[in-house]
Amino acid sequence: MIVALLIAHGLLAVALLGAITHQALSVLTVAPSANGRWTFLNRFRGVDATAYTTPIVVLFAVTALGGALLYPQYRIDVRPALEDTQNVAANGVFEIKEHLAAIGLGLLPTYWLFWRKRNGPETAAPRRYLTWLLAFFVWWSFIVGHVLNNVRGLLP
Amino acid sequence: MKDSRLTIFSIVFGVLYLVAFYYDLALFRYYPEVRQFHWLRNDDLGVVILWYGWIATAGLASAAIAFAVPKRMAERLWPGWAWIIPSAAVVGMLIYERRWFV
Repeated sequence: MIVALLIAHGLLAVALLGAITHQALSVLTVAPSANGRWTFLNRFRGVDATAYTTPIVVLFAVTALGGALLYPQYRIDVRPALEDTQNVAANGVFEIKEHLAAIGLGLLPTYWLFWRKRNGPETAAPRRYLTWLLAFFVWWSFIVGHVLNNVRGLLP
Repeated sequence: MKDSRLTIFSIVFGVLYLVAFYYDLALFRYYPEVRQFHWLRNDDLGVVILWYGWIATAGLASAAIAFAVPKRMAERLWPGWAWIIPSAAVVGMLIYERRWFV
């Protein structure tokens, strides 16, 4: 059961990572290339960013819930093993991950609001920075989650 | 909850979460080895998870503040605070968590 939950958590995280990265790059203010070619990056950025908002909110909430359900197993099995092997930094990066997930959950209402109400240029900057902030949370959590999941194979 | 109140909720949530974490103000505690929730600390039940309780504390307190702030004041809020204050909370948290890497 816990393995199935871990795999589902990982798959949801992949979907969230893709969605938030599309949206975060779409709000970059980079001038288009002079020859107007559709590079890979232009195609990646050239999405309807608004359409990603609700899926990102749902995916973030569901993935965080999955992480919360997995957390007891981590606390009982993984963390003591990391402490026994003096992997203090591994515990530290995970602690940061849990803080970022929590702060991210709190940010979701205003993130959703700023994307839903695209009213005027004064909201463009908050929308962009909230998106980048969430993207940072998601990337950190994704990388830390995968490294810790494989930590016994990665470390001597 | 009106739109501007959602923004206030998000702004104060990050700060209150860090306060709950720093001062150990978990609304409740979960003891995974015995699969029990407790309001109070109980050292006989093994390892404890405070994270759920910190989130609950911050969520309830933020919702209370968001409702308590007068509507007119909430609507005058500069939109930039929506990302600046949570970003500052993240920076503060990262500075505190340097303790794991020194």
